[in-house]
Amino acid sequence: MEKKKNAAGGSPLARVFKSQEGIAFAATIILFVFFIVASKSFRRYTTIVTLCNYMYYILLMAIGVTFPLITAGVDLSLGTGVVCYSIIGSFIINQMGMPVGVGMLVTILMGVLFGVINGVIIATLELPPFITTLCTMMIVRGLGSILTGGLSGVWPMEGSKGGWCRNILKVKANGKIIPIGIIWMIIILVIMSVILRKTKVGRYIIALGSNKEALRLSGVNVAKWTIVAYSICGLFTGLAAIAYACTFSNITPGTGAGLELDAIGGAIIGGTSMTGGVGSIAGTFLGVLIISLLKTGLPYVGLQANWQQIITGIVLIAAVTIDVLQHRKKTT
Amino acid sequence: MGEIILTMKDIDKTFPGVHALDHVSLDVKKGEVLALMGENGAGKSTLMKVLTGIYKKDSGTITYEGREIEFKNPHEAQEAGIVIVHQELNMIGHLTVAQNIFIGREPLNGGLIDDAKMNRDAKKLFEKLKIEIDPTEKMNLLTIGKQQMCEIAKAISRNAKLIIFDEPSAALTDAEIEQLFTIIRDLREQQLGIIYISHRMDEIKKITDRVTVMRDGCNVGTLITKDCTKDDIINMMIGHVIYAAPKTESHVKPGTPVVLKAEHINAGRMVRDVSFELHKGEILGFSGLMGAGRTETARAIFGADARESGDIYINGEKVKITRPEEAVSAGLSYLSEDRKQFGLALKKSIVENSTLTCLPKFCRRQFIDKKKEKEVTQKYVDMLQLKTPGVDQLVINLSGGNQQKVVIGKWLIGDADILIFDEPTRGIDVGAKEEIYELMNRLADEGKSIIMISSELAEILRMSDRIIVMCEGKITGELDIAEATQAKIMNLATMRN
Amino acid sequence: MKKFKNLKFVRAIGFNRVVLICVIFLLYLLFAVLTPVLHGGASFVKVERIFSAMNYAYFLGFLALGVTFVISTGGIDFSIGPVMFASALISGYCLTQYHAPLWLCLIISLIVGSLFGLLNGYFVAYRFLPSFVTSLASIEIAKGIGSVFTKTQSVTWPTAGSENSWYKNLVRAGNVPTGLILLIIAAVICGIVLNKTKAGRYMLCIGSNKEAVRLSGVNTKKWEMIAYVICGLLAGCAAIFYVGAYTTVQPGLGDNFNNDAIAACVMGGTSMAGGVASILGTVIGTMIMSLMQEGILAMGFTISYQYVISGIIVLIAVTADTLSRKRKV
Repeated sequence: MEKKKNAAGGSPLARVFKSQEGIAFAATIILFVFFIVASKSFRRYTTIVTLCNYMYYILLMAIGVTFPLITAGVDLSLGTGVVCYSIIGSFIINQMGMPVGVGMLVTILMGVLFGVINGVIIATLELPPFITTLCTMMIVRGLGSILTGGLSGVWPMEGSKGGWCRNILKVKANGKIIPIGIIWMIIILVIMSVILRKTKVGRYIIALGSNKEALRLSGVNVAKWTIVAYSICGLFTGLAAIAYACTFSNITPGTGAGLELDAIGGAIIGGTSMTGGVGSIAGTFLGVLIISLLKTGLPYVGLQANWQQIITGIVLIAAVTIDVLQHRKKTT
Repeated sequence: MGEIILTMKDIDKTFPGVHALDHVSLDVKKGEVLALMGENGAGKSTLMKVLTGIYKKDSGTITYEGREIEFKNPHEAQEAGIVIVHQELNMIGHLTVAQNIFIGREPLNGGLIDDAKMNRDAKKLFEKLKIEIDPTEKMNLLTIGKQQMCEIAKAISRNAKLIIFDEPSAALTDAEIEQLFTIIRDLREQQLGIIYISHRMDEIKKITDRVTVMRDGCNVGTLITKDCTKDDIINMMIGHVIYAAPKTESHVKPGTPVVLKAEHINAGRMVRDVSFELHKGEILGFSGLMGAGRTETARAIFGADARESGDIYINGEKVKITRPEEAVSAGLSYLSEDRKQFGLALKKSIVENSTLTCLPKFCRRQFIDKKKEKEVTQKYVDMLQLKTPGVDQLVINLSGGNQQKVVIGKWLIGDADILIFDEPTRGIDVGAKEEIYELMNRLADEGKSIIMISSELAEILRMSDRIIVMCEGKITGELDIAEATQAKIMNLATMRN
Repeated sequence: MKKFKNLKFVRAIGFNRVVLICVIFLLYLLFAVLTPVLHGGASFVKVERIFSAMNYAYFLGFLALGVTFVISTGGIDFSIGPVMFASALISGYCLTQYHAPLWLCLIISLIVGSLFGLLNGYFVAYRFLPSFVTSLASIEIAKGIGSVFTKTQSVTWPTAGSENSWYKNLVRAGNVPTGLILLIIAAVICGIVLNKTKAGRYMLCIGSNKEAVRLSGVNTKKWEMIAYVICGLLAGCAAIFYVGAYTTVQPGLGDNFNNDAIAACVMGGTSMAGGVASILGTVIGTMIMSLMQEGILAMGFTISYQYVISGIIVLIAVTADTLSRKRKV
């Protein structure tokens, strides 16, 4: 018992604040307070709506990428994937005249398909994950515009046929926009947390990132679970594509590179380690919250929109540097 | 002691250039602890790897529980009840103790993993074994000893019938070893078969029923533990054949100046307060068992790993060595035991590898003088009798012995005065070995000073002028070649605290 | 076949390179035949097409040469496209808004590129970050700085014939393809640096076995970082050739060129695992990628096809490399 105290650090509260999630939580609060104090216009209801708009798709991508990251891999095809799949969805709905529901299904299936492709290449050919997904990143980037003939995509707007898709994430009541997407996110967060902590899927994915050889020796099919990890990531990229399409009006083909950075950055800030084996869905949520806060908050304190990109880059480098330092300390 | 659970008969295994197992036979009975002993490289691990399906045997039969078997992989062996508790633990650090024990066969409750049941079961298991470990603790927060207990618990929970302990005590404290023995005695009571691989005589005497000794890939005999003495076992291990006559006296004359002096070097668990001196033209042998801290000492002196404390003097002057660059410019060199990982750029040519340590010498401004580089390399290739079609040959295409010569050549071209050879003849055929011995003697005669780390006693006795023996990160003794014997070295190498 | 492989010139430049040169001709033939069929009688066999393909080859060539150094150390840099754009934007903005002299602006472009190389190199070599992470971060930072500096305006460099437009001569002076000459000169220099100097030797050896090089007493961190700096510097050069050919640069873009450059590199025989690199192969790979880009456009397809094709090329090249290494072990 005494040992445990030393290792994890005294009271439960102290334990929380020593974990990366705890630090991320504190940082979130500090950022919130900072923006509220620094900017009058930040203290408005609409800020929450903007924040949510940003958060939905980044959060979904980040939850997805948490799984490959825990296996000590990565998926770079998220960003262009989100744009590609939502454009394909739009093509199904607008050009082929299918109902929105079918469009959504196809969007999700595209995501899963590329997730499986990534997983199979990484698990069976044993190529480095970042090269594999760098290639699929380029492929889906081109694929979206090839399949749709270079048209930009629009999902049905509110009021038109199939406009219910806009109400998945927010509804208007008494002239006010209510971001009900928050409820969906909470449900998804809980489900994915349970999957990561309480099912074989999560257990083996963590073990995969922690000690692949030990898992193999325990008679677990390592390739299968690698593919599962990337497929989950693909599934969530598909979901993120729907959230993206339902939030923004116009989707330009060939864009989306860079969105994956917000997601990967969010996961790492939330305590997922690039060296594998460590990560939590709650942490990922907090990491994404921090990134989304920076994205929405910085313009309020007078920083031009493009400063966000610079800051995301710096935040990513900082987060990974800390991750590397922590890992080095543990091994020596 | 009951019926026989495992019989291995006439097991033969050859690797390219090495006859690793030469018709080895061994049997284990239910309810007994069989010690498997032998020097490093005697073939103990290979034998166990053949048993658990990591290697395929060339010939021979394995009979387990009355049936002839051949496992394709360790997992199949596990399923059949044969489990190895490894020296390097196969634990998943980021999961809890209970999660590790039940990995691959988690109890489910409505589709979800029933962690509560796992914890309960693990707790029961620990109670049965009288181990005190919290099943909910993360594995990487436990001490090595506790991790090992978990590994044993895991094996037992899988209904193991035969457990192999591969040097289990190497990383344990005395209290932990006592606990381990209690468990092993308990398992013996329960009629399990146990193979215990260790170098430590006192442990062998304490815990085992029979001792099977291996030497050079052969089974040299089996003794009943309580009927034999420590010396009997040592004599069997080292044998009476010595391939070449050991040196009888030191070639270093008294009063020869000290070229390298290490004082109170500390670096982690494996290097504790190490001090020694190396004279000009001397071959200083570093002996000890695997994991005694010899490689770690060499790396700490060379600046490859961080040092916590300690000073290094070269030719009487204190030098600052924190990085390999500084060591090289001070005239030190280090030939790693693992040349593929630490010694060679395999995809590059002999020339490119050879001049790596002293490229500036071959450069005019920034440009490499390729002609000079080739000439010099050719000279050393000839001198070392390195067999290759040309100096542009990629190192990956060379045999082990020739690769080792490239590494040696690399440091000779670099004109290092102090050479640290870490297991210089590992994985090399006999002919090349002789050449390397000859070369080392010649270098010493020319005034180079050599530290030779070796796990082969015959090699140590043949080459060294003086021998330092390490055990568990400490120097346990120093012997002049005139007084050194295999038995003396073995005694020092197993001297714990 | 064996005889052919043993010919002196084939041995000198490598069998794979000979095959790639044949691929160039085959591609050209393919486009010459297909373009009229697919795109209503348009012709591919025109001097202007070649110049157009060359325009793409110049800047891509510099990017690919740069990334060859990084890949030969076993790392990767796929921030080069956005870094090139950042260099072109910042130096162009200095030229058009602050009226800095042209020569200074060209130097600024090189400096901006090098600084990004330094950033990547420092974090990879000294802080042990995975190189793809620093690349990701650099992409964002480069795009962000490009946009912030120019206040999200696109920058148009002086057009041909106007004042301060002599830089255009670097790409094409009348009918002399100066860009090609300069690219060849750059390739020769890169070849010398990689194969004949200490720096190149260290980089290749680091790519093959970093720890062995460190234990040989070489300051591996320094040399690894220098590879990234060279890569950044050449991305700065690429910026000059990009504006020389296309004049206008927009902020927030550039990452579509990363993969073309990497594809050119790995196609030419540079191993993603590090340690093996071929400058000649990179140049030939650049030619193939540029020709392909021109052909795809000429046949009436969008550039999106190029994204897909370059993605697949890299996948195939890396798979082939991985499998051949496995076979050896």
